[in-house]
Amino acid sequence: MTKVFTDGLSFALPLLIMAVGAIYSEKSGVTNLAIEGFQGFGAFIGALAAILVMPYFAKSSQVPIYIAMIFAAVGGGVYACLHALLCINFKANQVISGVVVNILAVALTTFFTSAANTALTGTASNKFILGVSNRYSIPLLSDIPVIGGLFKKMYPFEWIIIGLVVVFWYLMYKTRYGMRLRACGENPQALDAAGGDVVKTRWIAVIISGALSGIGGICFAYSIMANFSPSIYMGYGYLAIAAMIFGNWNIPATVVVCLVFGLAKAGGQQMCIAMKLPGNYTDLFNMLPYVLTMLLLIFFSKRNHPPQASGQPWDQSRR
Amino acid sequence: MDEYIVEMRHITKRFPGIIANDDVSIGIRQGEVFALLGENGAGKSTLMSMLFGMYRPDLGEIYVRGEKVDFHSANDATAKNIGMVHQHFKLVDNYTIAENIVLGVEPMTRKLGFLPAVNMKEANREIEKLSKEYGLEVNPRNLIEDVPVSVRQRVEILKMLYRQAEIMIFDEPTAVLTPSEIEFLLKIIDSLRKAGKTIILITHKIEEIKQIADRCAILCRGKLVDVLDVNSASAQEMANMMVGREVDLVTHKSEPHIGKEVLNVQGLTVLDENKFPVVKDVSFCVRAGEIFAIAGVSGNGQTQIADAVCGLEEAAQGSITLNGQDITHTSIRKRAERGISYIPEDRQSTGTVMDFQLSENLALRRYGREPYSKKGILNFTKIRENAEELIDRYDIRCAQGPKTIMRSMSGGNQQKAIIGREIEEHSDLIIFVQPTRGLDIGAIEKIHNQILAERDRGAAILLISLELSEVMELADTIGVIFSGEMLKIAPASELTRNEVGRYMMGVKEA
Amino acid sequence: MKENKRKGLAGLLTSDRWSNVTVSVLAIILMLATSSVILLIMGKNPLTAFRSFLQGCGFLPKAKYGGGSGMLSDLFDYLNILAPMLLAAVAFIVAFKTGLFNIGISGQMLLSGFMATILVGYMKELSPWIAKPLVILIGIATGGLLGALIGFLKYKFNIHEVVSTIMVNYIISFTTGFFINTRYVDMLTRSSRICSTASRLTWTKVNIGGVNCNVPLGIVIAIIGAVLVKFIFDKTVFGFELKAVGTSRKCAGYIGVNVGRSIVLSMAFSGIFAGLAGVTYYLGYTNTMVPKTLPGMGYDSIAVALLGNSSPLGAIFASVIVTIFQSGANYMSSSIGVAKEIASLITGILLLFAACGEYMKILGRRKIEKEEDKKIAAMQEARVKGGADK
Repeated sequence: MTKVFTDGLSFALPLLIMAVGAIYSEKSGVTNLAIEGFQGFGAFIGALAAILVMPYFAKSSQVPIYIAMIFAAVGGGVYACLHALLCINFKANQVISGVVVNILAVALTTFFTSAANTALTGTASNKFILGVSNRYSIPLLSDIPVIGGLFKKMYPFEWIIIGLVVVFWYLMYKTRYGMRLRACGENPQALDAAGGDVVKTRWIAVIISGALSGIGGICFAYSIMANFSPSIYMGYGYLAIAAMIFGNWNIPATVVVCLVFGLAKAGGQQMCIAMKLPGNYTDLFNMLPYVLTMLLLIFFSKRNHPPQASGQPWDQSRR
Repeated sequence: MDEYIVEMRHITKRFPGIIANDDVSIGIRQGEVFALLGENGAGKSTLMSMLFGMYRPDLGEIYVRGEKVDFHSANDATAKNIGMVHQHFKLVDNYTIAENIVLGVEPMTRKLGFLPAVNMKEANREIEKLSKEYGLEVNPRNLIEDVPVSVRQRVEILKMLYRQAEIMIFDEPTAVLTPSEIEFLLKIIDSLRKAGKTIILITHKIEEIKQIADRCAILCRGKLVDVLDVNSASAQEMANMMVGREVDLVTHKSEPHIGKEVLNVQGLTVLDENKFPVVKDVSFCVRAGEIFAIAGVSGNGQTQIADAVCGLEEAAQGSITLNGQDITHTSIRKRAERGISYIPEDRQSTGTVMDFQLSENLALRRYGREPYSKKGILNFTKIRENAEELIDRYDIRCAQGPKTIMRSMSGGNQQKAIIGREIEEHSDLIIFVQPTRGLDIGAIEKIHNQILAERDRGAAILLISLELSEVMELADTIGVIFSGEMLKIAPASELTRNEVGRYMMGVKEA
Repeated sequence: MKENKRKGLAGLLTSDRWSNVTVSVLAIILMLATSSVILLIMGKNPLTAFRSFLQGCGFLPKAKYGGGSGMLSDLFDYLNILAPMLLAAVAFIVAFKTGLFNIGISGQMLLSGFMATILVGYMKELSPWIAKPLVILIGIATGGLLGALIGFLKYKFNIHEVVSTIMVNYIISFTTGFFINTRYVDMLTRSSRICSTASRLTWTKVNIGGVNCNVPLGIVIAIIGAVLVKFIFDKTVFGFELKAVGTSRKCAGYIGVNVGRSIVLSMAFSGIFAGLAGVTYYLGYTNTMVPKTLPGMGYDSIAVALLGNSSPLGAIFASVIVTIFQSGANYMSSSIGVAKEIASLITGILLLFAACGEYMKILGRRKIEKEEDKKIAAMQEARVKGGADK
């Protein structure tokens, strides 16, 4: 049971930070299917940074992980500029742009991972071996029966993510920028007439989206994957988008949805182990979040209220 | 040099293909209500958009308080205490009134002493104060989506006041209001004038100018015709100047020859997506040779009635009969085939496929029939011939003939195409929703004559319009709708304009 | 045309007839330029690289050939990849014209390939005259049903097709992977066991002009399919209505088109082509299935469709270009020593420039407007001056 909670959380939180990223972009009025590409590219930059700095630290040192997270955020943010440029300035179809950005991310990271490996080690491997982050338990909270499992053996990045989610919730709902951002996705004309800068607001939102997704990606790389390879493109970016949709583009609701996803996946895996099924069967349980997504979509899609201007390019001449 | 607060000298503004303003010079005095009169497309809004910093003039200069200005954005104009209420309100639906007003100039506070946050408490207090001061009757905590259009307009006025505007531009402010709301607005404008504000009023309605304005500039096709003292000019004079020719302000209508019942709607109820009734138990009938007009303020369920009759909306309750046959559950296409033509309100996204050619748009009702298609294969020769015929008959102006892409045509010509296509079906029932919205006087005249001609041919006409004057001019029978209920149905001859206006406000017995 | 020449590139970008071709050609030129820069940075000669791509596809002769093979066998192998690529692109186009994004082509390909493999590919002693049509039918049925399901979910439950297709992609990938691993795996290759020769959509080792060639059946299906789709969208009532739904859903409803039915039909139609792409890919080209791997072609086909301006005939030319990089990658890699992943990088870059197509057109239009504006301005200034002189 404890394992369900610990594994569930360590899956749910990276997913959550990506979903928050998606919410930022969509609330500003830019449809974002590019989360998958953002997280992969961010993770790639983070992993590359980690590989480069690792020789300077002790083998068990955790410092490279934090360096990797910073670089993943920067990498995701920089890569997101591509989506911003296509959607905001070039007025490309935002769905197509998202797909293009994803395909390009896979191609770029795959190619440059092997290129970097060739340059660094001389072998054209498509993997950066990263290892797994250490885990820590929270002293008192983890002793609580049943839900104590939530606080046992946590990755440090989980705490960072929780902190970031709180910060970005505050930014969106309490501050001047957040107020303009949400207006921008509902009625950009209103923001423009009130003296706000639609283009700038959207650019910042998309970059935030990329940075948060990058953090999500590197966290996956440092936990369930233990390396960076093209298998980082497992569709978790799309799961984050699905979580955002059930969460109705609302951060607190999305937190709950992500927890449900995480617990379902971890629960499935533990069931598989408990029933002593052969290894191949884990595939069936890995499928659970996707099946769950489909089912939830069937029940919840009709009542959704996405930001009204999402997906429409902002054209200053059409006021 | 006069004591002008705003002076625009030799302003010229071009857009690709057209000259919106051609060497226009006007001066506006401190504390007056200055009207800009002209038809749609005469260049009034463009001229004022330049004063508000949304466009920059190609030639000419703007002076504010005697000082030459060069605005690059609306922010620059706001800094010079200029404000503007646009024709389409620029409001965020799911924000409160106060949030909308402070957006862009948010008052800040620090939570826990260091976290920057928007100070909504302060904003609410300030706006309540302003609202009382000018008699605007607005609750800053209400959501925009919950308040009616007239309140939204007052929110726009508050937005200007909150930004300390001294020069206020109103772009067609009465287009969306009922007669009594118009009265209220004009009173507000008057009190703003008394408070020393300078008001610029863009409009094409001469009566309002007569009522409130001090002076009036008339624009026609981008050129300034004249600046008049409102008191010394007659309405007919102004109308002629505005259009650039003699106009007929009255429509000539013959006596109706009313025949058998064509459309009968009984107990119709329509639900919106939240299962909330937007049309409640509405009954009426339209006879051949009759124009039945539904009057009402926008958003009271009139478009849903039209949609339900043609099949775009489902009737939750009640029945619809056409020529004695029940069509309540018949498909859209079958209804059209049985004799319903429909000119929808939204001509750009519903009435036409904007990215298709004109010829295809003109065939939208008939492409499935012979000779336009045979066994599922389209005959483009016939479709083109059909288009050539209609272009000629309905005087549709299009740059490349039948091949013209719909999007590239002007709104008036798009509407001509839709009306032509629908009339050519020679249906027993023709539904017109807002047929003249946004069109100029010349086009309106033509469309009104077409509607009357169809009536005289013997068609039953269901006309839905937000323009009370259009309803009064054309209708044989008037139904007034309020909040989804049909409050009154009576022959047009028995109702006065003011009575209809009162029913539109929901007053049951006048 | 004279007018266009005078206005140069901007004129070509805005002319009705040439703008789409110009955009595609520009995208290809930009892609070649960008990838040349990448190759130069890596210290390779781009011209040699591009030549080796062409050599790998059988368009140019290689330095030497192995026993029994020649330029022609390379060319047929190239056609063998071209066929599913074109079919997949047509699948995307069919949905796109109706305003839908079929991102699930990969999944539809995978499942139809899987179904055809286990139902026909592993059946012994079946006459090729029965097996081959059966494979095609299974592809059509599986793809069509899957597509219809997506359309139904969209119409009935308002689920955005992009999200649902992606979820279905992963579900299919995991399920088929599970069955391949537990039942159909070849212990040596870790992929599924190969299909019977009778069921394959390729005639293997046909001797043409002294060399052994694998002659693909799929390319015929693909070209017929592309032409058929063009005919349907250009000439028929059905296609006209689908296009109306694609460009203005509201207006389509207003004129009485059954929008829900059109969405389901269009997705089913798109799925049929994806299914055909699946069977030509798995039973024509690869002949085996790697578990838990979605075919990248399902995504590459979007590049092809965009580059071909989402027209079926444009897709034929676009797929010819894109497939050169896919098919020639191995030879390029072995002859100049660049990782063959650069092929997907090149496709990605091409996709990026193709997506900028609208912006290129806007730029062209702006340039022309500016020139016209200058003319008017000059005329007006002259008039103002003339007035002042009087």
